Amino acid sequence: MTGEEPPRETLSSERELPGGIAVSDATAAEIYGEEVPAARAAKTAPGASKLVTFLWALPGTVWLILFLVAPVIVVLVVSFFTGTITGFSKTWTTDNYTTIFSSTSQYLDTLGKVARNAAIVTVVCLLIGYPVAYFLAVKVKKVQYSFALFIIALAPFFTSTLIRVESWIPTMGEHGAVNEILTKIGLINHPLSILLFSDFAVSVALVQLLVLFMVTPIFFQLAALDQSAIEAARDLGASGWKVFLHVTLPLTRAGIMIGSVFVFVLAMGDFGTYRLIGGGKVGSIGVNISNLVSLLQYPQAAAQAAVLVVAMVIGVVLLLRFAKLEQGF
Amino acid sequence: MSQQLKDRLSKWGLGIWFGIFLVFLYGPILVMLVLSLQDSSGGSTFPARGLISGYWYSYLGNSASAALRTAAGVSVVLAIIVGLIASALALSLIMAYRRMSRRAARAFLYLILLSLMTPGILLSLGMSLWWKLLGLNVALYPAGLGVQVAWALPFGFLVMLAIFNRYDIAVEEAARDLGASAVQTFTRITLPIIWGGVFGAALFGFTLSWNEFERTLLVSPTATLPLEIYGELTSATLQPNLYALGVITTFGTILLVFLMLIIVALLVRRTARAQAAALAEDSVEAVAAMPALEGA
Repeated sequence: MTGEEPPRETLSSERELPGGIAVSDATAAEIYGEEVPAARAAKTAPGASKLVTFLWALPGTVWLILFLVAPVIVVLVVSFFTGTITGFSKTWTTDNYTTIFSSTSQYLDTLGKVARNAAIVTVVCLLIGYPVAYFLAVKVKKVQYSFALFIIALAPFFTSTLIRVESWIPTMGEHGAVNEILTKIGLINHPLSILLFSDFAVSVALVQLLVLFMVTPIFFQLAALDQSAIEAARDLGASGWKVFLHVTLPLTRAGIMIGSVFVFVLAMGDFGTYRLIGGGKVGSIGVNISNLVSLLQYPQAAAQAAVLVVAMVIGVVLLLRFAKLEQGF
Repeated sequence: MSQQLKDRLSKWGLGIWFGIFLVFLYGPILVMLVLSLQDSSGGSTFPARGLISGYWYSYLGNSASAALRTAAGVSVVLAIIVGLIASALALSLIMAYRRMSRRAARAFLYLILLSLMTPGILLSLGMSLWWKLLGLNVALYPAGLGVQVAWALPFGFLVMLAIFNRYDIAVEEAARDLGASAVQTFTRITLPIIWGGVFGAALFGFTLSWNEFERTLLVSPTATLPLEIYGELTSATLQPNLYALGVITTFGTILLVFLMLIIVALLVRRTARAQAAALAEDSVEAVAAMPALEGA
C-alpha cells in the first residue's frame, strides 16, 4: 500500500503526466532546497508523515478498489464459473472459453473485425488529428488563441456520447443531411445506404467520437516542445518537411503513442456506437456482452469480456513495440 | 518559393484543415439543431418540415415526455452527488500523490489510466456481477454512483494536477515554519489557493455523470436521462423531441465546460501570481502578513 512508501526525500521533483508533460513540483524550493527539508524533518516525525499520506490516499483508493478494480477482477473470476439458466453457479469450468474458441463460434471473427476497425480508426484519427494539433500548437502563435481554439475543439467531448451518436442518424441516414447534400449537388443519384448501419458508418462515427483523445496529448506535447531545436535545424538549412520528419515528429512520439493507445482501446471496447450506428446489424464484442447479459448468460459474457481485454493488451503491446516507445522516453 | 511564403501557405492550409475538422465535430450537432426546430409535421430525417418552430421543445414539457422529465430529475440529483464526491476524492488523492514516493505515484497514475481505459460495458458487467457475488441487488445507489465516481475521478485528478503544477510547496513549508499546524496549513493556505481545482473537478464530475451511459447500463434499474434516451432510441420510433433534448443538453454541457475551463484558467494564473508574491525575496514576511495566519 501507499502508506508503506517512504516520503519524498527532497522537496523538488519532476514527474511525467500522460502526454509527456514534465511537471516541476517546486522551482523556488530548489533555491531553499538546502534548509527547508531540514527544518521540516526537525518538526515532523517520518512516521507521522507516512500516516498522513496514507490517510489522504485512503478514501479515493478504497473507492477505486470497490468500484473499479474489484469489478474488473470479478469479470475474470466469473468467466470461470458454470453458466445456468438463471445466471451462474460457483463451479469452476473452462467451458466458457472452449465455447469462444470452438469452430462454430463467431467470436474470433467479430474480435478480428473489431480489432481491424479499431486499428483503422486509430490511423485515421492520427492522420486527421496530428495536423489539427500541429496547427493549434505551432501555427497559432498567440498562446491564448491556441488554447481558446483547442477548447472549442475539446468541448463536444464532454457532451453525451449517446447524443453524439444519436446525431449521426439524421446526418448519415438514407434521408440524412450528407445524402441530401450529395444528391443536391449531383455527386450521387441515389442516397448511399453505406453511411448508416454498416461497419464503415461505425468507423466514421468512432473517429468523430475519439479523435480528441489523439489531438489532446499531441497538442500538449507540441505546445511544450523546445522551439530552439526546430530553429537550429532550420538554420542549418533543413527544409520544412525534413525538419518535421526528423525533428518534430520524433519529439512528439510519446504523444502519438498515448493518443493511439487511448483511441485503439476505446474503439475496441465500444458498445454504444456499434449498437446504435450499427443498428443491430453490426456486431462488436460490446454488443455481444450486452446481448448475453440480457439472456442472463453471465459467465459467457464475462469470458468474452476477458478475452477482449487480453486482445486489447496484446494490441497495445504490439503498438508500443512497433513504435519503440522505450526509446521515446 | 521563399520560406516566408511557404510558412504562410502551410499556415493557411492547416487552418482550413482545422475548419473542416470543426465542421466534422459540430456538423451532426447542427443537423440535430435544424431538425429539432421543425413543427409537428416534422420527422426524424430530412427534408425538414415547418421550420422554424418550437413545437418539439414544448413537446418535452407535455405528458408524452413525462418519462424523460422524471429521468432528467434522477440524473440531476445523481450528477450533483457524483460531482461532490468526485471532487472531494480527487482532492484527497492529489494531496496523497504529492507526498508519495515516485514509485507509488506511478502506480497511482496506472490506476487512473485503468479507469480511463476500461471499456464501459465491461465495467458495467463487472459491477453487476460483483454485487451479485456479494448478494446485493444492483441499484443506482450505490452501484451506479460508484462506477460513475470511479469514471469522473481521473478527470478531477488531472484538473487538480494541472493546478498543482503551478503550486509551490514552499508556501506550505513557510507556513509550517511559522508555526501553523497541518490542519491550519491545509485550510488556510492550500485550500484557498487550489479551490478552483476542486470546483473544476466537481463540474467535470457533474458533466460526466449527466452524460454517462455505458457504465450505468447494467447496474441501474432506475432510468437516468441517458438510459431513458437509449431506451427510446432502441425501442420507440425516433421523434424530433429527442433532438430537442440533445440540443439542450449539448449546448448546456458546452456552456458548463467553458465556464469551468475559464475559471480554472483564471485560477491557474492567480495561483502563479499569488505564489510569485509569496515567494519573493521577502517571502517570510509576505507569508507572515497573510491575515489567515493571524491565529497561528
